[in-house]
Amino acid sequence: MVALVVALGVVVLLLAVLVAGLLRSHADILKSLHDLGVGGGDPGAADADPQAPHPWPTSTRGPGDAVPVTMGPPLPPERNSTSAPTVAGVTPDGHALAVSMTGGDHLTLLAFLSSGCASCSGFWKAFHRPGELGLPDRTRLVVVTKGPDREIPAEVAAQSPRSLPVVMSTEAWDDYEVPGSPFFVLVDAAGGRRIGEGVANHIHQVVDLVRRADVDARPLGAVGHGPVAAGGLDGPERERANDAELRRAGVLPGDPSLYPASLDDLYGRSDQPGAPAPVRRTA
Amino acid sequence: MPSLRAHGITAPLPTGFEGRIFVRTPVGGETTFPVAHFATFALPADVGDFGGGAVDRMGANDIFVALFEFGPESLGRPLFARQGLPRSLAPVDFRPYVLRRGLGGQSGTQWFFTESGRPLTLYVVLGSHARRGVLVPRVNSLLGSLDVAPVDTASVTPVPPGVPFSGGRWN
Repeated sequence: MVALVVALGVVVLLLAVLVAGLLRSHADILKSLHDLGVGGGDPGAADADPQAPHPWPTSTRGPGDAVPVTMGPPLPPERNSTSAPTVAGVTPDGHALAVSMTGGDHLTLLAFLSSGCASCSGFWKAFHRPGELGLPDRTRLVVVTKGPDREIPAEVAAQSPRSLPVVMSTEAWDDYEVPGSPFFVLVDAAGGRRIGEGVANHIHQVVDLVRRADVDARPLGAVGHGPVAAGGLDGPERERANDAELRRAGVLPGDPSLYPASLDDLYGRSDQPGAPAPVRRTA
Repeated sequence: MPSLRAHGITAPLPTGFEGRIFVRTPVGGETTFPVAHFATFALPADVGDFGGGAVDRMGANDIFVALFEFGPESLGRPLFARQGLPRSLAPVDFRPYVLRRGLGGQSGTQWFFTESGRPLTLYVVLGSHARRGVLVPRVNSLLGSLDVAPVDTASVTPVPPGVPFSGGRWN
């Protein structure tokens, strides 16, 4: 009996130690999260000292805001997350090439690829037939690899499409804070700024996003060819012009396309054979 | 300021300019020399030495600049007697009829000269002759910083036709 009591006592003691350890670990995690700016409450001394420094500007972030994540080297002070500096470097065959992100009203899609990354191979292959990608007409596709200091030019040349500009520039990767490849950045030349960026696994995902950005970036009335685009109408006159243009396009009152239930209804599904073309705004 | 450097030509690019410096692949026994293109608009992938395929895309506020090198046999010829790249052009230097392709509204100028022992021609197209007063200073901001280095003849070796440029030579 005594042995049983002693054994139970030992077990209870071990469990108490275990629970204490877990609570301590949990407290450390909460403290770390608080230091990063997430989570509620403050177990530490920061609240006690309102003058304590915060890792972000307190005027723009609160306890519930997302934690900023820096994926690359810090940007120069004159740049921000939407700036789009010129991409300058060398081509795989030793020439020099610079692509400006301003001038004109086109979109520039920067494809940051590597010659050795397995997930990039599909993009390299797809880019050999840029006309079949389905990108909007006013899209300029530019492939950017790291410079000759990080890539072997011959390997890049072996995969490079002949009809697309390929720039080898480590500086561009730093400028655009590219976390890894494949990575895509979409720049609106009219504003000279980035309007989208991110990772994709398949070219259709990229094309779909570019199409949507293309529609969003167009000024109202810029797509249609009727009096709405030409005249800059307003009020009832504009409404009548819109109705007339829709009728010319075969869209009559009650047409299902006027009542989209999802984004796919609005933009079409590019990854399905025979998918309808994206619906464009006409007003 | 982004900068281009290849084939002995260095070009810091003013805001809004893009460009390329390249040597065409020799075809049929010809010898090719460096060409530099600069533009304030999106240069197509395939552009003629003097802007064919590009100048027809220019808007009124656009600029196209070509720097084209000739072979060493041109050195000492009267056409290339002028020494030094023109660094500061004037609006009166531009004429609507000095164009390889006479596109309405555009205006151009062309200069032959020798820089650093290399015979070159500079060809500039403005998108609008009427706006030359505004556009020429932008051209000069590019020309003022262009650098053409002397050819290192020791590094020049013939390239058989059909063999792409592999670096190490300027022509």
